[in-house]
Amino acid sequence: MLSFKSGFTALAVGGALLLGQVLGQAPAQAQTKSAIDIATIGEPGPLDPVTVTSDLVSIITQHVFETLYAFDGKWEAAPLLASALPQISDGGKFYTIPLREGVKFHDGSTMTADDVVTSLNRWLKASPRGKLAAPAVDAVAAKDAKTVTIKLKQPFAPLLALLAMNNGAAAIMPKALAETTDTLKTYVGTGPYKIVEQKPDQYIRMARFDGYQSPPGAASGYAGARKAEIEELRFVPVPNATTRVDGMLAGQYQFADSLPTELAPKLKGAAGVEPIMVKPFGWALVIFNQKTGPMANPLVRQAAQAALTPEDMLLAAFGDPAFFEVEGSIYPKGTPFYDEASVKGYNQHDAKKAAALLKQAGYKGEPIKILTSPQYDFLYKMSLVAQQNLQEAGFTVDLQVLDWATLLSKRSDPGAWDAFFTYHTFVPEPTLITIMNPAYPGWWDTPEKKAALDAFNTDTDPAKRVSDWKAIQGLFYSQVPAVKIGEFYNLAARSKKLTGYTPVPWPFFWNVKVGG
Amino acid sequence: MTAYLSRRFAGMAVVMLMVAAIVFVIARVVPGDPAAVMLGSNATPADVAALRAQLGLDRPLPVQFVLYLRDILSFDLGNSIFLNRPVIDALLDRAELTSWLTGMSVMIAVLIGVPVGVLAAVRRGTLLDQAVTAVSMLAASLPSFWVGLTLIEYFAVRLGWFPVAGYGDPGAALGARLHHLVLPAVALGLPNSALIIRFTRTSMLDVLHEDYVRTAKAKGLGPGAVIVKHAFRNALIPVLTVIGLTIATLIGGAIVTETVFGLPGVGNLIVSAVLRRDYPVIQGALLIISGLYVLINLAVDLLYAVVDPRVRY
Repeated sequence: MLSFKSGFTALAVGGALLLGQVLGQAPAQAQTKSAIDIATIGEPGPLDPVTVTSDLVSIITQHVFETLYAFDGKWEAAPLLASALPQISDGGKFYTIPLREGVKFHDGSTMTADDVVTSLNRWLKASPRGKLAAPAVDAVAAKDAKTVTIKLKQPFAPLLALLAMNNGAAAIMPKALAETTDTLKTYVGTGPYKIVEQKPDQYIRMARFDGYQSPPGAASGYAGARKAEIEELRFVPVPNATTRVDGMLAGQYQFADSLPTELAPKLKGAAGVEPIMVKPFGWALVIFNQKTGPMANPLVRQAAQAALTPEDMLLAAFGDPAFFEVEGSIYPKGTPFYDEASVKGYNQHDAKKAAALLKQAGYKGEPIKILTSPQYDFLYKMSLVAQQNLQEAGFTVDLQVLDWATLLSKRSDPGAWDAFFTYHTFVPEPTLITIMNPAYPGWWDTPEKKAALDAFNTDTDPAKRVSDWKAIQGLFYSQVPAVKIGEFYNLAARSKKLTGYTPVPWPFFWNVKVGG
Repeated sequence: MTAYLSRRFAGMAVVMLMVAAIVFVIARVVPGDPAAVMLGSNATPADVAALRAQLGLDRPLPVQFVLYLRDILSFDLGNSIFLNRPVIDALLDRAELTSWLTGMSVMIAVLIGVPVGVLAAVRRGTLLDQAVTAVSMLAASLPSFWVGLTLIEYFAVRLGWFPVAGYGDPGAALGARLHHLVLPAVALGLPNSALIIRFTRTSMLDVLHEDYVRTAKAKGLGPGAVIVKHAFRNALIPVLTVIGLTIATLIGGAIVTETVFGLPGVGNLIVSAVLRRDYPVIQGALLIISGLYVLINLAVDLLYAVVDPRVRY
């Protein structure tokens, strides 16, 4: 390690070093190489797709690491590194997964069942997603060089979806790398791009992987054929959203993610730029503390649900209705789990009903500590409307405006809060929704929910799972562990020179061309 | 001189130790958890606790403090939690950009500030002097983020003369990278030039009323020689102080400008580290900046003796 002293000296003699740099500077990259700059919301940190569940890490690492399955355009699992969907036997307790042959890792080695088994074991142990599956898994084994088996203790229907997720992903890597217990420091996957250079806060540079073996079939969502048309991808952290927009307008970036909705008119009027609306993208929610404090009483939570006006909150947050939908169903229209019937009590704005419920609950005006953060401007604006709604109904509100890091840390302590604002990125499998996990802050852990979730997780029939989900959503509205505020969409932008782009929550750049 | 320097270095060591202790305490008193930030909002408290243990953040604070002091005394700034690499490497990566940015900003501030300040003093009470005073007051009160965004809008987006953000493509030549720094340097340099204008003007006015200037004029020296040889040299000491302070302020104060222009400099690193609660980076960066601040102060004091031979240490 470089020492403080040597670093200090280096800083002091910076001028001389810099002069050296001027003289020894490498020429610019060959201009003939096709390359794009993608402006992201910030520095992702360690690029470990297994242990880190931030969306940014998923967006970047999905180009490098692949999973056995991936979601297609209809959000159904389709083979990626597997050659077919699993054969499920023994009443849903035994999965046989055939692997594609000849798949190469970036280090030149060929993927074997051993690599897959070790990678899946690392995922079960280290990934927050894997840990959801781990209690149901008895053993992962290699049946032969090109077949992997997963033996379960009891049927666990979300397994396939979990294996297909690119967030907290069951990423397949060489056995030696998968034996690492710490956060990854080297990145060797099977993806269409390989990492060439990572300069924190400056860029992550990826080059096309010439040995890439694409899955067969037409491209659909994250599944089907993948072709790295562009030779080099550069993910550039640009934390200031206005700068991302200006960079798009000036042609410095070919893609920019998460742009402020109020700047949409500027993007729409610009030549050479195409605004992108990503639907579905996410949903905002306020989560209640069910362990201690006034919100532990279900009647108080029901009162809050009656008092809130999601419609006003969404309008305050996003301004233009083009960017949101007042939608109570946890899953949006057009997805298999969409259900309107079990959404009872959404968007009421009934202060009288709320006041009556508070009286029935014996609420004595104890302050309700609500955590919010201006770092997510839309959440902050929503919380201001919520404060007004709740006060009108008779709640005493203690709105605590914190930075996001403080909010994340404070919400772990049940004694420190009664409600907090957050959002959830769209996930195709309901088990992946954070509040389904009884250990997630809010601690929704009632016997009814547990029974309904167990049924949902063990039923393997898709139709039965849909009706099971309706029951869980019904409980969400009667037990009120949280209030869904509504759907919102992500504004991104691409250069018109970039073709073949598919709008998805975690943008990817294979099958994308840059020209003219 | 040797005794003076020994005294100053001993004082610096004490200051640095105090800074180290204060920074440690402030970083830990602020709520927030690097493990929670790193894992994202989907993580459960159990996941966060496991990572905290892995990072050694579950140890008692006094133990962490002693380990931190031990590392500093062996000139080790530790490892960044979020970036997963030594703090000194992270700082050195960004030192080049911040050095250039600071250098260019100071150059802009001095090249505008000193001549305009001298001119305003020499033409005291004229329309030019009043205009300089008014414009410099305005420039000093403009927030650098606003100046930055305005420069981006006109010179980068509309005219396309300069890049909007970043520090050039990988492997780009230094010239291309410095091209990226022109607008940020102007955004940072302009408000500081206003400060230097005001100091230079005041200092020159004081000197212009001195007897030796009157004597020089009486001897028949031309106005140029009087201003440059007699007045300016003596007016330089307070100006030097403000330039030194400007450099020190710019090193730390480039934070907002680096964020607006998406520049991977030391300022940006500090902002990100605070948001991520990356304690070793916060501590290391502030220690280095404090050290530079103290060193610049010492350099300015020593320069007094060079500019004014009457000053002895």
